[in-house]
Amino acid sequence: MDKSTIVCRCEEINIDEIENALKNGAQTFDDIKRLTRTGMGSCQSKVCLHPVREIIADYHNKDLQDVGISRMRIPLKPIRMGTLATESKDSNVASVFGESVEEGDENR
Amino acid sequence: MRIDKTHDVIIVGSGVVGSSIAYHLSERKKHSILLIDKGFPLSGTSGSTQAWVWVHSKVPSWYGELSLYSAELYPFLERKIGDVEYKRTGGIAPFFTEAEKEKALKLAEKQAEVGIDIEVLSRDEVLEKEPYLSPNIAGATFSKIDGNVNPFRLVELYIKSAKKNDVQTSFYNQVISIQKNGDIFHLETLKGTFKTKKLVIAGGPWSKELGEMLNVNIPIKQVRGQILITEPLQPFLKHTIGGVRQADNGEVLIGYSKEEVGYDRRTTLDIVQQTAKMAIDFIPHLRRANVVRSFAGIRVIPLDGFPIIGEIPEVEGAYIAAMHSGVTLSPLVGTLLTELLIDGETSIDLSRYSLERFNESNIKSI
Ligand SMILES: Cc1cc2nc3c(=O)[nH]c(=O)nc-3n(C[C@H](O)[C@H](O)[C@H](O)COP(=O)(O)OP(=O)(O)OC[C@H]3O[C@@H](n4cnc5c(N)ncnc54)[C@H](O)[C@@H]3O)c2cc1C
Ligand code: FES
Repeated sequence: MDKSTIVCRCEEINIDEIENALKNGAQTFDDIKRLTRTGMGSCQSKVCLHPVREIIADYHNKDLQDVGISRMRIPLKPIRMGTLATESKDSNVASVFGESVEEGDENR
Repeated sequence: MRIDKTHDVIIVGSGVVGSSIAYHLSERKKHSILLIDKGFPLSGTSGSTQAWVWVHSKVPSWYGELSLYSAELYPFLERKIGDVEYKRTGGIAPFFTEAEKEKALKLAEKQAEVGIDIEVLSRDEVLEKEPYLSPNIAGATFSKIDGNVNPFRLVELYIKSAKKNDVQTSFYNQVISIQKNGDIFHLETLKGTFKTKKLVIAGGPWSKELGEMLNVNIPIKQVRGQILITEPLQPFLKHTIGGVRQADNGEVLIGYSKEEVGYDRRTTLDIVQQTAKMAIDFIPHLRRANVVRSFAGIRVIPLDGFPIIGEIPEVEGAYIAAMHSGVTLSPLVGTLLTELLIDGETSIDLSRYSLERFNESNIKSI
């Protein structure tokens, strides 16, 4: 395949860029993701995960099943903020301003 | 790489802290340097961070001052290592009650003593700067010095520039134990034994384990933070807002949660829901935005909250850099450790940040 073939459509990343990350020592899908943004686009790697795994497998001479997938996280499908916020009770979420004035607070 | 060679410096950990130290040290071209990581750069906390370069609400003011000096190094750093997408957007920390205004004024007064300019904004003044913020806020503190950076680009370019200056790297290589024989450290790793005259521990949330290899207690705790990311939205937020920022690609990152759950990087529904509520409390329009992803990272928080930077007492030749806000502080920490390792003294007095402050008995036995 042509090296300029796009494998991650959402972030417009081509084969060449993936191979470059591998040349720099990347081993996992997530290593490549953090270097190139592959998989961080609007489909959240639903399209590019498998083509990229194939490139990793080829490069490292591994079987496809030995190349792990990305860490899957909430939400698996986009969800409205307002829907998520319902049912939220009190909170482990702190205030930046609050922390600047609480004497003796530890987490600065 | 010849394994039997003795390096001048080995840095363990190539997150934002370790890679900055490697780069800044390499600029002087004095040392043979090896950077080791058990994973790949960015697999630790530096790959799951909000990446504000944040100064104005850091207290007490001497800690604010440290953050200020570091933020001021960013434009020059970018000249040297390339585009890390540093943007000095100005920072806004909203408050929601009138009573907090007094405190805000006091903060502004204190920070002014060290040269951090803070304006205390009324509700209307805040809304003029950021029209989408909630009309329920009472006001905010604002400073021009705050901003943000792309942490992925930052670490990548620290390492790339360090390599250009002949720093060697060994990734996917865990350090398993450390011995000191005479003046030389022997690091037992997955890929063999490496020797060095000086050793820098930059292990982020794993600093404690690395300290134990030297029989030293590194008093840090691990505090998880969970972040939500929206779909790309039209640019509508100009500033870095305490808890919320919009990236260049339109995605909004929201979060300021804190939980002590050890090294557990899962995201959980309860915190995700609380964070969504915070997003709407701050910016009501976000109610209709789609959340596409969450992530979690583990903060490295020294027990008193302040960075640990400097020599490890009683283990000559060993140094440590462990801190929260390592993104903000990395340019300065890299610079200071370079001064310490090469010149033996630093332009900013580090005694306040020494490991020694925790007590004399942090050395178990050696
Ligand atoms: C949710 C969240 C939001 C944050 N927001 C901000 C912010 O807005 N601004 C800011 O300035 N800071 C922020 N921080 C803090 C900042 O991200 C951290 O202070 C910084 O990333 C720490 O970098 P580090 O290099 O010390 O650690 P890490 O990036 O974790 O690097 C440590 C490295 O050491 C390696 N290592 C560990 N043990 C070994 C071993 N035995 N052998 C070999 N290698 C080893 C690891 O693999 C790892 O790569 C945030 C943190 C979190 C979690
Ligand atoms: S194709 Fe890669 S994130 Fe959508």
